[in-house]
Amino acid sequence: MKSSFEHYVFIGGSAGALAPITQILSKLPANFSFPITLVIHRSFESSTSFIDHLSSTTKLHVVEVFDKQKITEKKIFISPCDYHLQVESEDAFSLCCDEKLHFCRPAIDVLFTTAAEIFDKKCIAILCSGANIDGVAGLLRIKQLGGTTIVQSPETAEVTVMPEAAIALGAADMVCSPEEIVTFLLELS
Amino acid sequence: MALIMAGDPTKEAKTDPVTIDIENNEFELFITAIKVFSNYDLSGYAKVSLKRRVKQLVTDYGLTSISELIPLLAHQPEAARKIVNELTVNVSEMFRDPSSFLVLKESVISYLASFPRRDIWVAGCACGEEAYSLAILLEECNLLENTQIHATDINTNALEQAKSGVLTHNLTKKDAQRYRLSGGNYSLSKYFSSAYSKQKISQHLLDNINFTHHNLIQDGIFCSAHLVLCRNVMIYFDAELQNKVLQLLYDSTIHNGYLAIGTKESLDESGIVDRLTVIDEQSRIFQRKRI
Repeated sequence: MKSSFEHYVFIGGSAGALAPITQILSKLPANFSFPITLVIHRSFESSTSFIDHLSSTTKLHVVEVFDKQKITEKKIFISPCDYHLQVESEDAFSLCCDEKLHFCRPAIDVLFTTAAEIFDKKCIAILCSGANIDGVAGLLRIKQLGGTTIVQSPETAEVTVMPEAAIALGAADMVCSPEEIVTFLLELS
Repeated sequence: MALIMAGDPTKEAKTDPVTIDIENNEFELFITAIKVFSNYDLSGYAKVSLKRRVKQLVTDYGLTSISELIPLLAHQPEAARKIVNELTVNVSEMFRDPSSFLVLKESVISYLASFPRRDIWVAGCACGEEAYSLAILLEECNLLENTQIHATDINTNALEQAKSGVLTHNLTKKDAQRYRLSGGNYSLSKYFSSAYSKQKISQHLLDNINFTHHNLIQDGIFCSAHLVLCRNVMIYFDAELQNKVLQLLYDSTIHNGYLAIGTKESLDESGIVDRLTVIDEQSRIFQRKRI
């Protein structure tokens, strides 16, 4: 089976990740065709406002994923609150309500590990600021299967636990500032 | 930007693509073995979640590959039963998706009240939380009497737990909060008694719920109901099985009856979409059209 995109971008973040993620996504052009999928830990109440916030700052279409939704171009896919978001197949997501991982649902590790197995080398994963280690194992998995992994540089991160854990584990291909991440993504297309 | 160099040790992992191919083949064999030895057809389950659970079993049993689970299915009935239960377990909580309960209260209760007796089917009830929540909602609307809640699940362990009325997790502030957002009028704890640090739902609520084993995949229509709820169950199924189950749920709903699915589940691709009226898009609550 051949997937339809050259790259798939996956972004994870927790405490302090909203600002860098907003910064990165706001710099992408409307014709950025590679699908972007985002898991960011947030409280239940802020789901709609989070999507509204992102929509107002990016030229891409922001959508909250429903179960078995197709992976399509020029979109930013956001996990709904209280579901794990998974890559189910080469062309679709799935959701699940399994137990929390690292006290998180959605968990970044669930998205990253499922993405790694389906898209391997085509994965580009970015892990941003955060206060726990969710996403670190998944990032390593993506790296192991040939994908490209980027960690937000601790000096630019508001909370350094997550980036530092990823770097310590050897899960980072690159350690970048948000500006450098933008440059990297723009050079893809 | 520091780019990696060739020969990076973290790139040479034990999980190379060939290993994944072998693992996928073992997984397919395992699904066949479950069907042959335990008569549960899991072939329509969405692969990703199921495979994660299968791999968890491999770890739990101290094994090294999925294939090693197959002899357990063949020769150890008790282990086989346990494996099926581990793979089909679903988690829920009291008043999950409060806005859906609020819509039920505001848009469906008056319909239910127009009948002298009512049947409600909770398909895939897990450990009972949704059925309990519904019983509380009906109690507060003075409708619990003369309502039969049929709660079914494929998982025999979950059903035993649900029948006992004992919560798997004690109530927290978040449960109380969801109850209030669902339109609850009192204190959620009023419906529970505590003993030995466990919480149990009031017996008179439990008495109105009939917990029964039913397999949505292999069994037929369970009952004819005024309201059918099947939430966050079909996310574990692939698209084809989802459509088959949606048809079953539709067939189990009486004319003008209501159907509620998970708030992130879609029936747009199913054969029943044209035969339902959307009552609330966000909560995914539908009414069967009279044809």
